[in-house]
Amino acid sequence: MKQKKSSAVIIIVICIYLLVPLLLTFLYSVFQQWNDILPSGFTTQYYQQLFTDTRFLTALARTVLISILPILVCTVIVLLAMYVVVVYLPGLDKIMQILCMIPYAIQGVILAVSILSLYADAPEPFSDRLFMLTAAYCVMILPYMYQSVKNNLSAVNAPCLLETAQILGAGKLHAFFRIIVPNILPGIVISMMLSVSMVFGDFVIVNTIGGSYFETAQMYLYKTLFTSGQLSSALIVVLFLTTLLISAGVFSLKNRNKSSER
Amino acid sequence: MTNKRSKLYLLALAPFCLLVLFFEIAPLLTVIVRSFMPEDRIGFTLEQYVAIFSKKLYQQAIFNSVFVSVASALAGIIIAFFAAKAAHAASGKVKSFFLSILNMTSNFAGIPLAFAYIILLGNVGVFIMIGKKYGISALSGFNLYSLTGLLFTYIYFQVPLASLLLIPAFNGIHPQWRESVALLGGSGLTFWRKVGIPALLPSILGTLSVLFANALAAYATAYALLQNNFSLLPIRIQEQFTGDIVQHKEFGSALAVVMMMLMVISIGINNYILKRNREVRG
Repeated sequence: MKQKKSSAVIIIVICIYLLVPLLLTFLYSVFQQWNDILPSGFTTQYYQQLFTDTRFLTALARTVLISILPILVCTVIVLLAMYVVVVYLPGLDKIMQILCMIPYAIQGVILAVSILSLYADAPEPFSDRLFMLTAAYCVMILPYMYQSVKNNLSAVNAPCLLETAQILGAGKLHAFFRIIVPNILPGIVISMMLSVSMVFGDFVIVNTIGGSYFETAQMYLYKTLFTSGQLSSALIVVLFLTTLLISAGVFSLKNRNKSSER
Repeated sequence: MTNKRSKLYLLALAPFCLLVLFFEIAPLLTVIVRSFMPEDRIGFTLEQYVAIFSKKLYQQAIFNSVFVSVASALAGIIIAFFAAKAAHAASGKVKSFFLSILNMTSNFAGIPLAFAYIILLGNVGVFIMIGKKYGISALSGFNLYSLTGLLFTYIYFQVPLASLLLIPAFNGIHPQWRESVALLGGSGLTFWRKVGIPALLPSILGTLSVLFANALAAYATAYALLQNNFSLLPIRIQEQFTGDIVQHKEFGSALAVVMMMLMVISIGINNYILKRNREVRG
């Protein structure tokens, strides 16, 4: 009982710590002035200003596209590779692990700068900014997706499960994608969500690779940061709500999957 | 027949290989090779590395980056440990609420985070105003635009990430272990010291190295807060590649290699400790 109480206190304190900066940003966006401890002059003008700007709306659409596409691609790629590694060639896991760890060392700036300087003048589709960005983000989230798939595989004891399924007459492909994958999916969805938010919040990579070819909401935000504080905070709130929508979408998808299984 | 099948399953490996080859290995090799080249010529030189370690500006960048990464990773893991412990003990509803808060705030980094901290603790930030009004000098004298200020923003983005990575690991702590320790007369503290933390150690160390790398690579928060006025590795690297007038791609590549080495060292230390830990226990 005592333990329950202390854990509740810890959760509340951490939630407050995490939510205060968010809450203040929101308050900042709906008041005209904030020169004292409390703000004054409630308004929604900054939101109206934002949503009548087509440049912003286009940028937001680009951000949503680029935040979902690479995560789906990367998850499929990792699951396919893991299928081969778990079922046929367990010895390859060491190499795969090293390959999936390397992006740690070439995160952010390094990844962006090296990909851009290598492919900027390359033939299509490599020089296509959307292609470059998608690939860069796939590499960026590779460590997280790999680690998550692997942790979840060992948590369900995949080799044992596979063996059992085969004894019961299931094929290898069937056993992996119909028995193991649904079992590890809840865990993977969590890291997919984490990945979506990472890409959504990225600035370095999109700024370096996308440049003026692919202006996303983050870059739009950086430009307004020095012109209007309130408009920036309104924009931050909108970006934030969009992320929440993406997360909610993934969650409901997950739940639908679960109920359709039953 | 078996031969044909063996080729078929290898196809599933192809997308992974292509991605890794073209967008991980090739760019990585380019950066490494370029860092050993003189500017605008073909050849081999170490001059870029000599320049990094002989200029005060770049020494400072390395020190600042390492300090802020280590300090924020340690602070993050300590908070996350208690967060994960609490989440594990909480009921399903509270846990999923907490998880959604963590998920929600885990993307609050970069420019938005810098902006929020400017509202909170900047020159005319809310807490600074409160400090001034009520004479709390610890608050009113706080300088956000410094190494300490930057550290605060970094700790903020480490906490949700660290917690989300640690919470699943706590599922491996079985309540029976706790009962066994209690039966043998051990307290809650004994349980965590002798059983809980050792069992979690692989996850804790793994998370720690993710956090270190995460902070080292962080760019947008520092850039939005301090622009070019503060020496951090990622900011100095970016400068070498995106300058409008002059670019120093070779020097920038050498800086990038230094940053990569830092990440590799952190992963290496992590692996070494894990291996030793396994040997001691085995």
